[in-house]
Amino acid sequence: MNKYLLVAKNTWYETVAYRFNFVMWRIRVVFQLLTVYFLWLAIIPENGDFLGYTKPLMLTYVLGTSLIASIALASRSYGIGDEINNGNLSNFLIKPINYFLYWFSKDMGDKAMNILFSVLELTMLFLLLHPPIFIQTNIFIIFLALISSVIALILYFLFNILLGLIGFWSPDVWAPRFIFIILLNFFAGSLFPLDILPKSVFYFLRALPFTYILYFPLKIYLGQLSQIEIYIGVFISAIWVLIIYWFVRIIWAKGIAAYTAYGR
Amino acid sequence: MVGKYLKIWWTMTRIASQIAFVSRFGAIIFILGKILRFAFFLLFLLLLISKTKVIVGYEIWQVILFFATFNLIDTVVQFFLREVYRFRSYVVSGDFDYFLIKPISPLFRSLFGGSDVLDISMLLISVGFVIMSIFKIGDISLSGVLVYLLLILNAFLIALTFHIFILVVGILTTEVDNTLWLYRDITQMGRLPIDIYKEPIRGILTFILPVGIMMTFPPKSLMGLLSIQSVMIALVVSTVLLYVSLKCWKFAISRYASASS
Repeated sequence: MNKYLLVAKNTWYETVAYRFNFVMWRIRVVFQLLTVYFLWLAIIPENGDFLGYTKPLMLTYVLGTSLIASIALASRSYGIGDEINNGNLSNFLIKPINYFLYWFSKDMGDKAMNILFSVLELTMLFLLLHPPIFIQTNIFIIFLALISSVIALILYFLFNILLGLIGFWSPDVWAPRFIFIILLNFFAGSLFPLDILPKSVFYFLRALPFTYILYFPLKIYLGQLSQIEIYIGVFISAIWVLIIYWFVRIIWAKGIAAYTAYGR
Repeated sequence: MVGKYLKIWWTMTRIASQIAFVSRFGAIIFILGKILRFAFFLLFLLLLISKTKVIVGYEIWQVILFFATFNLIDTVVQFFLREVYRFRSYVVSGDFDYFLIKPISPLFRSLFGGSDVLDISMLLISVGFVIMSIFKIGDISLSGVLVYLLLILNAFLIALTFHIFILVVGILTTEVDNTLWLYRDITQMGRLPIDIYKEPIRGILTFILPVGIMMTFPPKSLMGLLSIQSVMIALVVSTVLLYVSLKCWKFAISRYASASS
Protein backbone atom coordinates (compact mmCIF):
# COMPACT_ATOMS: atom_id res chain seq x y z
CA MET A 1 0.00 0.00 0.00
CA ASN A 2 2.91 2.30 0.81
CA LYS A 3 4.12 2.30 -2.78
CA TYR A 4 0.77 3.66 -4.00
CA LEU A 5 0.82 6.33 -1.32
CA LEU A 6 4.29 7.23 -2.56
CA VAL A 7 3.00 7.48 -6.16
CA ALA A 8 0.24 9.83 -4.97
CA LYS A 9 2.76 11.92 -3.03
CA ASN A 10 5.09 12.07 -6.03
CA THR A 11 2.24 13.34 -8.20
CA TRP A 12 1.59 16.06 -5.62
CA TYR A 13 5.28 17.06 -5.74
CA GLU A 14 5.25 16.96 -9.56
CA THR A 15 2.38 19.44 -9.53
CA VAL A 16 4.30 21.71 -7.18
CA ALA A 17 7.39 21.40 -9.41
CA TYR A 18 5.45 22.73 -12.43
CA ARG A 19 3.87 25.57 -10.50
CA PHE A 20 3.42 27.94 -13.44
CA ASN A 21 1.54 25.30 -15.40
CA PHE A 22 -0.68 24.47 -12.47
CA VAL A 23 -1.46 28.08 -11.61
CA MET A 24 -2.39 28.77 -15.24
CA TRP A 25 -4.64 25.73 -15.19
CA ARG A 26 -6.43 26.94 -12.08
CA ILE A 27 -6.82 30.46 -13.54
CA ARG A 28 -8.47 28.79 -16.53
CA VAL A 29 -10.85 26.94 -14.22
CA VAL A 30 -11.82 30.22 -12.54
CA PHE A 31 -12.52 31.88 -15.92
CA GLN A 32 -14.65 28.94 -17.02
CA LEU A 33 -16.54 29.12 -13.76
CA LEU A 34 -17.10 32.88 -13.98
CA THR A 35 -18.57 32.57 -17.49
CA VAL A 36 -21.28 30.18 -16.34
CA TYR A 37 -21.77 32.00 -13.03
CA PHE A 38 -22.46 35.39 -14.65
CA LEU A 39 -24.66 33.86 -17.31
CA TRP A 40 -26.98 32.41 -14.69
CA LEU A 41 -26.76 35.54 -12.56
CA ALA A 42 -28.03 37.52 -15.56
CA ILE A 43 -30.77 35.07 -16.44
CA ILE A 44 -32.51 34.36 -13.15
CA PRO A 45 -34.66 37.23 -11.89
CA GLU A 46 -33.85 38.57 -8.41
CA ASN A 47 -36.90 37.20 -6.62
CA GLY A 48 -38.05 34.69 -9.19
CA ASP A 49 -36.83 31.36 -10.45
CA PHE A 50 -35.83 29.56 -13.63
CA LEU A 51 -37.58 26.22 -14.03
CA GLY A 52 -37.64 25.69 -10.28
CA TYR A 53 -34.17 27.07 -9.59
CA THR A 54 -33.94 30.22 -7.51
CA LYS A 55 -30.79 32.31 -7.75
CA PRO A 56 -29.18 30.78 -4.61
CA LEU A 57 -29.90 27.22 -5.80
CA MET A 58 -28.56 27.79 -9.31
CA LEU A 59 -25.45 29.67 -8.17
CA THR A 60 -24.75 26.96 -5.59
CA TYR A 61 -25.10 24.42 -8.39
CA VAL A 62 -22.67 26.35 -10.63
CA LEU A 63 -20.08 26.89 -7.90
CA GLY A 64 -20.57 23.34 -6.67
CA THR A 65 -19.72 21.90 -10.10
CA SER A 66 -16.26 23.41 -9.68
CA LEU A 67 -15.72 21.57 -6.39
CA ILE A 68 -17.19 18.27 -7.59
CA ALA A 69 -15.15 18.55 -10.80
CA SER A 70 -11.97 18.84 -8.73
CA ILE A 71 -13.00 15.64 -6.92
CA ALA A 72 -14.30 13.64 -9.87
CA LEU A 73 -12.65 15.04 -12.99
CA ALA A 74 -9.12 16.07 -11.93
CA SER A 75 -6.92 13.26 -13.17
CA ARG A 76 -3.66 12.13 -14.68
CA SER A 77 -4.93 8.85 -16.08
CA TYR A 78 -5.50 10.48 -19.48
CA GLY A 79 -1.84 9.57 -20.09
CA ILE A 80 -2.49 5.82 -20.33
CA GLY A 81 -3.06 5.85 -24.09
CA ASP A 82 0.22 7.63 -24.78
CA GLU A 83 2.03 5.26 -22.47
CA ILE A 84 0.72 2.27 -24.42
CA ASN A 85 1.54 3.97 -27.73
CA ASN A 86 5.13 4.79 -26.86
CA GLY A 87 5.77 1.38 -25.31
CA ASN A 88 6.39 2.67 -21.77
CA LEU A 89 3.72 0.27 -20.56
CA SER A 90 6.39 -2.45 -20.76
CA ASN A 91 8.14 -0.91 -17.74
CA PHE A 92 5.07 -1.55 -15.62
CA LEU A 93 4.35 -5.05 -16.85
CA ILE A 94 7.61 -6.31 -15.37
CA LYS A 95 7.22 -4.53 -12.03
CA PRO A 96 5.35 -5.79 -8.95
CA ILE A 97 2.76 -3.06 -9.26
CA ASN A 98 -0.91 -3.01 -10.18
CA TYR A 99 -1.10 -0.77 -13.23
CA PHE A 100 -4.62 0.47 -12.50
CA LEU A 101 -3.85 1.20 -8.85
CA TYR A 102 -0.72 3.05 -9.97
CA TRP A 103 -2.81 5.39 -12.13
CA PHE A 104 -5.52 5.65 -9.51
CA SER A 105 -2.86 6.79 -7.01
CA LYS A 106 -1.58 9.37 -9.49
CA ASP A 107 -5.14 10.60 -9.93
CA MET A 108 -5.54 10.89 -6.16
CA GLY A 109 -2.39 12.99 -5.86
CA ASP A 110 -3.66 15.27 -8.60
CA LYS A 111 -7.11 15.48 -7.06
CA ALA A 112 -5.74 16.41 -3.64
CA MET A 113 -3.98 19.45 -5.10
CA ASN A 114 -7.00 20.41 -7.23
CA ILE A 115 -9.43 20.10 -4.31
CA LEU A 116 -7.19 22.32 -2.18
CA PHE A 117 -7.07 25.01 -4.88
CA SER A 118 -10.74 24.66 -5.69
CA VAL A 119 -11.66 25.33 -2.06
CA LEU A 120 -9.33 28.35 -1.99
CA GLU A 121 -10.75 29.74 -5.24
CA LEU A 122 -14.34 29.25 -4.15
CA THR A 123 -13.58 30.98 -0.84
CA MET A 124 -12.05 33.90 -2.72
CA LEU A 125 -14.97 34.12 -5.13
CA PHE A 126 -17.36 33.94 -2.21
CA LEU A 127 -15.59 36.85 -0.50
CA LEU A 128 -15.39 38.90 -3.72
CA LEU A 129 -18.80 38.27 -5.25
CA HIS A 130 -20.94 37.57 -2.18
CA PRO A 131 -23.13 35.16 -4.12
CA PRO A 132 -26.42 34.16 -2.53
CA ILE A 133 -25.73 30.47 -1.99
CA PHE A 134 -27.55 27.56 -0.45
CA ILE A 135 -25.89 25.89 2.54
CA GLN A 136 -26.94 22.32 3.19
CA THR A 137 -27.20 21.69 6.94
CA ASN A 138 -28.37 18.07 6.91
CA ILE A 139 -25.25 15.98 7.66
CA PHE A 140 -26.81 12.82 6.23
CA ILE A 141 -27.50 14.51 2.87
CA ILE A 142 -23.95 15.88 2.78
CA PHE A 143 -22.71 12.34 3.48
CA LEU A 144 -24.81 10.95 0.61
CA ALA A 145 -23.53 13.69 -1.70
CA LEU A 146 -19.97 12.69 -0.75
CA ILE A 147 -20.69 9.00 -1.42
CA SER A 148 -22.09 9.96 -4.81
CA SER A 149 -18.98 12.08 -5.51
CA VAL A 150 -16.76 9.09 -4.76
CA ILE A 151 -18.78 6.98 -7.21
CA ALA A 152 -18.41 9.81 -9.75
CA LEU A 153 -14.65 9.78 -9.18
CA ILE A 154 -14.48 6.01 -9.82
CA LEU A 155 -16.75 6.28 -12.88
CA TYR A 156 -14.56 8.95 -14.45
CA PHE A 157 -11.39 7.03 -13.64
CA LEU A 158 -12.77 3.93 -15.37
CA PHE A 159 -13.82 6.01 -18.39
CA ASN A 160 -10.31 7.41 -18.58
CA ILE A 161 -8.80 3.93 -18.53
CA LEU A 162 -11.26 2.70 -21.14
CA LEU A 163 -10.35 5.58 -23.46
CA GLY A 164 -6.65 5.03 -22.80
CA LEU A 165 -6.89 1.36 -23.74
CA ILE A 166 -7.73 2.41 -27.30
CA GLY A 167 -3.95 2.89 -27.48
CA PHE A 168 -3.53 -0.90 -27.82
CA TRP A 169 -5.08 -0.75 -31.29
CA SER A 170 -4.75 2.84 -32.47
CA PRO A 171 -2.38 5.79 -32.10
CA ASP A 172 -5.48 8.02 -32.17
CA VAL A 173 -6.08 8.24 -28.44
CA TRP A 174 -6.84 11.96 -28.34
CA ALA A 175 -9.65 12.13 -30.88
CA PRO A 176 -12.03 9.81 -28.96
CA ARG A 177 -11.10 11.61 -25.73
CA PHE A 178 -11.91 14.97 -27.34
CA ILE A 179 -15.42 13.84 -28.24
CA PHE A 180 -15.86 12.20 -24.84
CA ILE A 181 -15.01 15.48 -23.08
CA ILE A 182 -17.54 17.35 -25.21
CA LEU A 183 -20.25 14.80 -24.43
CA LEU A 184 -19.28 14.80 -20.76
CA ASN A 185 -19.36 18.61 -20.50
CA PHE A 186 -22.88 18.69 -21.81
CA PHE A 187 -24.44 15.53 -20.38
CA ALA A 188 -22.79 15.66 -16.95
CA GLY A 189 -24.44 19.01 -16.26
CA SER A 190 -21.42 21.29 -16.02
CA LEU A 191 -23.22 24.10 -17.84
CA PHE A 192 -26.69 23.68 -16.39
CA PRO A 193 -28.68 21.28 -14.19
CA LEU A 194 -29.95 18.52 -16.45
CA ASP A 195 -33.51 18.61 -15.12
CA ILE A 196 -34.18 21.88 -16.95
CA LEU A 197 -34.12 19.85 -20.16
CA PRO A 198 -37.41 18.53 -21.56
CA LYS A 199 -38.67 15.68 -19.37
CA SER A 200 -38.28 12.93 -22.00
CA VAL A 201 -34.64 13.93 -22.64
CA PHE A 202 -33.93 14.11 -18.92
CA TYR A 203 -35.41 10.65 -18.28
CA PHE A 204 -33.19 9.26 -21.02
CA LEU A 205 -30.11 10.99 -19.58
CA ARG A 206 -30.82 9.53 -16.15
CA ALA A 207 -30.01 6.11 -17.59
CA LEU A 208 -26.59 7.28 -18.82
CA PRO A 209 -23.49 7.33 -16.61
CA PHE A 210 -22.60 10.99 -17.37
CA THR A 211 -25.51 12.21 -15.21
CA TYR A 212 -23.89 10.73 -12.12
CA ILE A 213 -20.57 12.51 -12.51
CA LEU A 214 -21.58 16.12 -11.71
CA TYR A 215 -25.33 16.61 -11.76
CA PHE A 216 -26.34 13.87 -9.34
CA PRO A 217 -23.97 14.68 -6.43
CA LEU A 218 -24.93 18.36 -6.64
CA LYS A 219 -28.61 17.60 -6.84
CA ILE A 220 -28.28 15.52 -3.66
CA TYR A 221 -26.43 18.38 -1.95
CA LEU A 222 -29.17 20.85 -2.91
CA GLY A 223 -31.67 18.60 -1.16
CA GLN A 224 -33.88 18.37 -4.24
CA LEU A 225 -34.02 14.58 -4.36
CA SER A 226 -36.11 12.31 -2.18
CA GLN A 227 -34.35 9.48 -0.36
CA ILE A 228 -35.73 6.90 -2.77
CA GLU A 229 -34.48 8.97 -5.77
CA ILE A 230 -31.05 9.13 -4.14
CA TYR A 231 -30.92 5.37 -3.57
CA ILE A 232 -32.04 4.66 -7.14
CA GLY A 233 -29.41 7.08 -8.46
CA VAL A 234 -26.66 5.52 -6.34
CA PHE A 235 -27.79 2.08 -7.52
CA ILE A 236 -27.73 3.07 -11.23
CA SER A 237 -24.31 4.71 -10.91
CA ALA A 238 -22.93 1.68 -9.03
CA ILE A 239 -24.23 -0.57 -11.82
CA TRP A 240 -22.42 1.64 -14.35
CA VAL A 241 -19.22 1.32 -12.33
CA LEU A 242 -19.52 -2.47 -12.47
CA ILE A 243 -20.33 -2.51 -16.20
CA ILE A 244 -17.43 -0.22 -17.14
CA TYR A 245 -15.06 -2.07 -14.79
CA TRP A 246 -16.07 -5.34 -16.50
CA PHE A 247 -15.39 -3.75 -19.91
CA VAL A 248 -12.03 -2.46 -18.70
CA ARG A 249 -10.99 -5.94 -17.54
CA ILE A 250 -11.99 -7.58 -20.83
CA ILE A 251 -10.42 -4.90 -23.04
CA TRP A 252 -7.25 -4.84 -20.92
CA ALA A 253 -6.90 -8.63 -21.30
CA LYS A 254 -7.41 -8.40 -25.08
CA GLY A 255 -5.11 -5.38 -25.29
CA ILE A 256 -2.28 -7.06 -23.39
CA ALA A 257 -2.58 -10.02 -25.75
CA ALA A 258 -2.29 -7.67 -28.72
CA TYR A 259 0.44 -5.47 -27.18
CA THR A 260 3.76 -5.52 -29.04
CA ALA A 261 5.65 -2.82 -27.10
CA TYR A 262 5.87 -0.86 -30.35
CA GLY A 263 7.92 2.29 -29.87
CA ARG A 264 10.48 0.82 -27.47
CA MET B 1 7.07 39.52 -51.16
CA VAL B 2 3.40 38.83 -50.32
CA GLY B 3 3.31 36.22 -53.08
CA LYS B 4 6.33 34.44 -51.60
CA TYR B 5 4.72 34.29 -48.16
CA LEU B 6 1.41 33.14 -49.61
CA LYS B 7 3.24 30.35 -51.40
CA ILE B 8 5.00 29.32 -48.18
CA TRP B 9 1.70 29.36 -46.28
CA TRP B 10 0.01 27.29 -48.94
CA THR B 11 2.83 24.72 -48.97
CA MET B 12 2.86 24.43 -45.18
CA THR B 13 -0.93 24.17 -45.06
CA ARG B 14 -0.94 21.45 -47.71
CA ILE B 15 1.58 19.45 -45.69
CA ALA B 16 -0.32 20.05 -42.41
CA SER B 17 -3.54 18.90 -44.11
CA GLN B 18 -1.91 15.70 -45.33
CA ILE B 19 -0.71 15.03 -41.78
CA ALA B 20 -4.18 15.76 -40.38
CA PHE B 21 -5.73 13.19 -42.70
CA VAL B 22 -3.14 10.45 -42.10
CA SER B 23 -5.76 9.08 -39.73
CA ARG B 24 -9.13 9.66 -41.33
CA PHE B 25 -10.84 8.24 -38.27
CA GLY B 26 -9.16 10.81 -36.01
CA ALA B 27 -9.91 13.65 -38.44
CA ILE B 28 -13.60 12.74 -38.66
CA ILE B 29 -13.89 12.43 -34.88
CA PHE B 30 -12.27 15.86 -34.38
CA ILE B 31 -14.58 17.49 -36.93
CA LEU B 32 -17.61 15.79 -35.39
CA GLY B 33 -16.49 16.91 -31.92
CA LYS B 34 -16.20 20.54 -32.98
CA ILE B 35 -19.65 20.45 -34.58
CA LEU B 36 -21.14 18.79 -31.50
CA ARG B 37 -19.60 21.42 -29.22
CA PHE B 38 -21.21 24.15 -31.33
CA ALA B 39 -24.54 22.33 -31.48
CA PHE B 40 -24.68 21.66 -27.74
CA PHE B 41 -24.07 25.28 -26.78
CA LEU B 42 -26.60 26.44 -29.36
CA LEU B 43 -29.11 23.99 -27.92
CA PHE B 44 -28.40 25.37 -24.47
CA LEU B 45 -29.01 28.93 -25.69
CA LEU B 46 -32.25 27.92 -27.36
CA LEU B 47 -33.34 26.20 -24.17
CA LEU B 48 -32.61 29.34 -22.15
CA ILE B 49 -34.33 31.72 -24.50
CA SER B 50 -37.36 29.49 -24.92
CA LYS B 51 -38.04 30.21 -21.25
CA THR B 52 -36.70 33.75 -20.76
CA LYS B 53 -37.44 35.20 -24.26
CA VAL B 54 -34.46 37.57 -23.88
CA ILE B 55 -30.94 37.47 -22.41
CA VAL B 56 -29.78 40.87 -21.10
CA GLY B 57 -32.17 42.51 -23.52
CA TYR B 58 -31.18 40.54 -26.63
CA GLU B 59 -33.65 38.35 -28.48
CA ILE B 60 -33.00 34.88 -29.80
CA TRP B 61 -31.43 35.69 -33.19
CA GLN B 62 -29.38 38.49 -31.71
CA VAL B 63 -27.93 36.06 -29.15
CA ILE B 64 -27.28 33.55 -31.94
CA LEU B 65 -25.50 36.30 -33.89
CA PHE B 66 -23.20 36.93 -30.90
CA PHE B 67 -22.49 33.22 -30.58
CA ALA B 68 -21.97 32.68 -34.32
CA THR B 69 -19.66 35.71 -34.55
CA PHE B 70 -17.64 34.38 -31.62
CA ASN B 71 -17.34 31.04 -33.39
CA LEU B 72 -16.40 32.67 -36.68
CA ILE B 73 -13.58 34.67 -35.09
CA ASP B 74 -12.43 31.80 -32.89
CA THR B 75 -12.40 29.33 -35.78
CA VAL B 76 -10.60 31.61 -38.24
CA VAL B 77 -7.97 32.32 -35.60
CA GLN B 78 -7.50 28.61 -34.89
CA PHE B 79 -7.46 27.84 -38.62
CA PHE B 80 -4.67 30.28 -39.42
CA LEU B 81 -2.67 30.20 -36.19
CA ARG B 82 -2.63 26.47 -35.41
CA GLU B 83 1.17 26.44 -35.62
CA VAL B 84 1.33 28.33 -32.32
CA TYR B 85 0.02 25.15 -30.63
CA ARG B 86 3.16 23.37 -31.81
CA PHE B 87 5.56 26.16 -30.92
CA ARG B 88 6.66 24.79 -27.54
CA SER B 89 8.14 21.65 -29.08
CA TYR B 90 10.18 23.80 -31.50
CA VAL B 91 11.66 25.80 -28.62
CA VAL B 92 12.25 22.84 -26.32
CA SER B 93 13.85 20.73 -29.04
CA GLY B 94 15.86 23.61 -30.43
CA ASP B 95 14.17 23.28 -33.84
CA PHE B 96 13.33 26.95 -33.59
CA ASP B 97 16.95 27.51 -34.72
CA TYR B 98 15.89 26.36 -38.19
CA PHE B 99 13.22 29.07 -38.30
CA LEU B 100 15.87 31.69 -37.54
CA ILE B 101 18.35 30.72 -40.23
CA LYS B 102 15.87 30.61 -43.10
CA PRO B 103 15.26 33.62 -45.36
CA ILE B 104 11.71 34.14 -44.07
CA SER B 105 10.38 35.92 -41.03
CA PRO B 106 10.58 33.57 -38.00
CA LEU B 107 7.48 35.27 -36.65
CA PHE B 108 5.54 34.45 -39.82
CA ARG B 109 6.81 30.86 -39.72
CA SER B 110 5.85 30.49 -36.04
CA LEU B 111 2.37 31.91 -36.54
CA PHE B 112 1.31 30.68 -39.97
CA GLY B 113 3.30 27.48 -40.42
CA GLY B 114 0.36 25.32 -41.41
CA SER B 115 -3.38 25.99 -41.13
CA ASP B 116 -5.78 23.47 -39.67
CA VAL B 117 -7.98 22.10 -42.41
CA LEU B 118 -10.20 20.39 -39.79
CA ASP B 119 -11.58 23.83 -38.87
CA ILE B 120 -13.09 24.46 -42.30
CA SER B 121 -16.39 22.74 -41.47
CA MET B 122 -16.87 24.94 -38.40
CA LEU B 123 -15.92 27.98 -40.44
CA LEU B 124 -18.71 27.28 -42.92
CA ILE B 125 -21.23 26.58 -40.17
CA SER B 126 -20.33 29.83 -38.38
CA VAL B 127 -20.63 31.90 -41.57
CA GLY B 128 -23.96 30.19 -42.29
CA PHE B 129 -25.33 31.09 -38.85
CA VAL B 130 -24.06 34.69 -39.10
CA ILE B 131 -25.85 35.15 -42.44
CA MET B 132 -28.99 33.46 -41.15
CA SER B 133 -29.01 35.67 -38.04
CA ILE B 134 -28.61 38.81 -40.17
CA PHE B 135 -31.64 37.86 -42.25
CA LYS B 136 -33.70 36.93 -39.20
CA ILE B 137 -32.85 40.11 -37.29
CA GLY B 138 -33.57 42.28 -40.34
CA ASP B 139 -33.21 46.05 -40.42
CA ILE B 140 -29.44 45.85 -40.96
CA SER B 141 -27.80 48.71 -42.84
CA LEU B 142 -24.96 48.41 -45.36
CA SER B 143 -22.78 50.62 -43.18
CA GLY B 144 -23.52 48.26 -40.27
CA VAL B 145 -22.28 45.33 -42.36
CA LEU B 146 -19.14 47.21 -43.39
CA VAL B 147 -18.29 48.20 -39.81
CA TYR B 148 -19.03 44.61 -38.74
CA LEU B 149 -16.50 43.30 -41.26
CA LEU B 150 -13.98 45.94 -40.20
CA LEU B 151 -14.36 44.96 -36.55
CA ILE B 152 -14.08 41.25 -37.41
CA LEU B 153 -10.74 42.03 -39.07
CA ASN B 154 -9.84 44.06 -36.01
CA ALA B 155 -10.67 41.05 -33.82
CA PHE B 156 -8.35 38.87 -35.93
CA LEU B 157 -5.64 41.45 -35.42
CA ILE B 158 -6.13 41.44 -31.63
CA ALA B 159 -6.09 37.62 -31.64
CA LEU B 160 -2.91 37.74 -33.68
CA THR B 161 -1.25 39.99 -31.11
CA PHE B 162 -2.32 37.63 -28.31
CA HIS B 163 -0.70 34.77 -30.20
CA ILE B 164 2.48 36.81 -30.59
CA PHE B 165 2.46 37.35 -26.81
CA ILE B 166 2.04 33.58 -26.38
CA LEU B 167 5.09 32.99 -28.61
CA VAL B 168 7.01 35.51 -26.52
CA VAL B 169 6.09 33.64 -23.32
CA GLY B 170 7.06 30.42 -25.13
CA ILE B 171 10.55 31.68 -25.91
CA LEU B 172 11.13 33.18 -22.47
CA THR B 173 9.69 30.33 -20.36
CA THR B 174 9.31 27.38 -22.81
CA GLU B 175 5.65 27.27 -21.68
CA VAL B 176 2.98 27.71 -24.32
CA ASP B 177 0.13 25.29 -23.76
CA ASN B 178 -1.48 26.73 -20.67
CA THR B 179 -1.04 30.34 -21.80
CA LEU B 180 -2.71 29.42 -25.06
CA TRP B 181 -5.57 27.65 -23.34
CA LEU B 182 -5.93 30.55 -20.94
CA TYR B 183 -6.37 32.80 -23.98
CA ARG B 184 -8.99 30.37 -25.31
CA ASP B 185 -10.87 30.34 -21.99
CA ILE B 186 -10.81 34.11 -21.69
CA THR B 187 -12.14 34.54 -25.21
CA GLN B 188 -14.83 31.92 -24.43
CA MET B 189 -16.28 34.55 -22.10
CA GLY B 190 -17.26 36.33 -25.33
CA ARG B 191 -19.58 33.54 -26.52
CA LEU B 192 -22.34 35.73 -25.16
CA PRO B 193 -22.53 39.56 -25.13
CA ILE B 194 -20.26 40.86 -22.39
CA ASP B 195 -23.26 42.84 -21.11
CA ILE B 196 -24.05 39.76 -18.99
CA TYR B 197 -20.99 40.45 -16.82
CA LYS B 198 -21.15 42.93 -14.00
CA GLU B 199 -18.66 45.72 -13.42
CA PRO B 200 -15.70 45.66 -12.92
CA ILE B 201 -15.47 42.38 -14.88
CA ARG B 202 -17.22 43.94 -17.89
CA GLY B 203 -14.69 46.81 -17.93
CA ILE B 204 -11.79 44.38 -17.63
CA LEU B 205 -13.19 42.26 -20.48
CA THR B 206 -13.58 45.34 -22.67
CA PHE B 207 -10.36 47.22 -22.17
CA ILE B 208 -7.78 45.10 -20.33
CA LEU B 209 -8.49 41.69 -21.86
CA PRO B 210 -10.27 43.05 -24.92
CA VAL B 211 -12.66 40.13 -25.34
CA GLY B 212 -15.54 42.56 -25.62
CA ILE B 213 -13.83 44.47 -28.43
CA MET B 214 -13.08 41.19 -30.20
CA MET B 215 -16.36 39.34 -29.79
CA THR B 216 -19.13 41.73 -28.71
CA PHE B 217 -18.32 44.90 -30.67
CA PRO B 218 -18.77 43.41 -34.17
CA PRO B 219 -22.34 42.11 -33.67
CA LYS B 220 -23.28 45.27 -31.79
CA SER B 221 -22.06 47.38 -34.70
CA LEU B 222 -24.10 45.25 -37.09
CA MET B 223 -27.23 45.88 -35.05
CA GLY B 224 -26.45 49.60 -34.88
CA LEU B 225 -25.80 49.48 -31.14
CA LEU B 226 -22.19 50.69 -31.19
CA SER B 227 -21.07 54.29 -31.18
CA ILE B 228 -18.41 55.59 -33.58
CA GLN B 229 -16.23 56.36 -30.54
CA SER B 230 -16.28 52.67 -29.57
CA VAL B 231 -15.23 51.70 -33.11
CA MET B 232 -12.33 54.15 -32.90
CA ILE B 233 -11.32 52.80 -29.49
CA ALA B 234 -11.37 49.25 -30.92
CA LEU B 235 -9.03 50.25 -33.74
CA VAL B 236 -6.69 52.09 -31.39
CA VAL B 237 -6.55 49.14 -28.97
CA SER B 238 -5.60 46.67 -31.73
CA THR B 239 -2.95 49.04 -33.13
CA VAL B 240 -1.38 49.58 -29.71
CA LEU B 241 -1.47 45.83 -28.98
CA LEU B 242 0.16 45.05 -32.33
CA TYR B 243 2.92 47.58 -31.69
CA VAL B 244 3.60 46.29 -28.16
CA SER B 245 3.47 42.62 -29.22
CA LEU B 246 6.02 43.20 -32.01
CA LYS B 247 8.31 45.00 -29.56
CA CYS B 248 7.97 42.08 -27.14
CA TRP B 249 8.72 39.62 -29.95
CA LYS B 250 11.93 41.48 -30.81
CA PHE B 251 12.92 41.41 -27.15
CA ALA B 252 12.13 37.69 -26.82
CA ILE B 253 14.11 36.80 -29.95
CA SER B 254 17.12 38.61 -28.52
CA ARG B 255 16.81 36.43 -25.39
CA TYR B 256 16.44 33.10 -27.23
CA ALA B 257 19.27 30.88 -25.99
CA SER B 258 18.86 27.90 -28.34
CA ALA B 259 19.39 25.79 -25.22
CA SER B 260 18.36 22.35 -26.52
CA SER B 261 19.78 22.46 -30.02
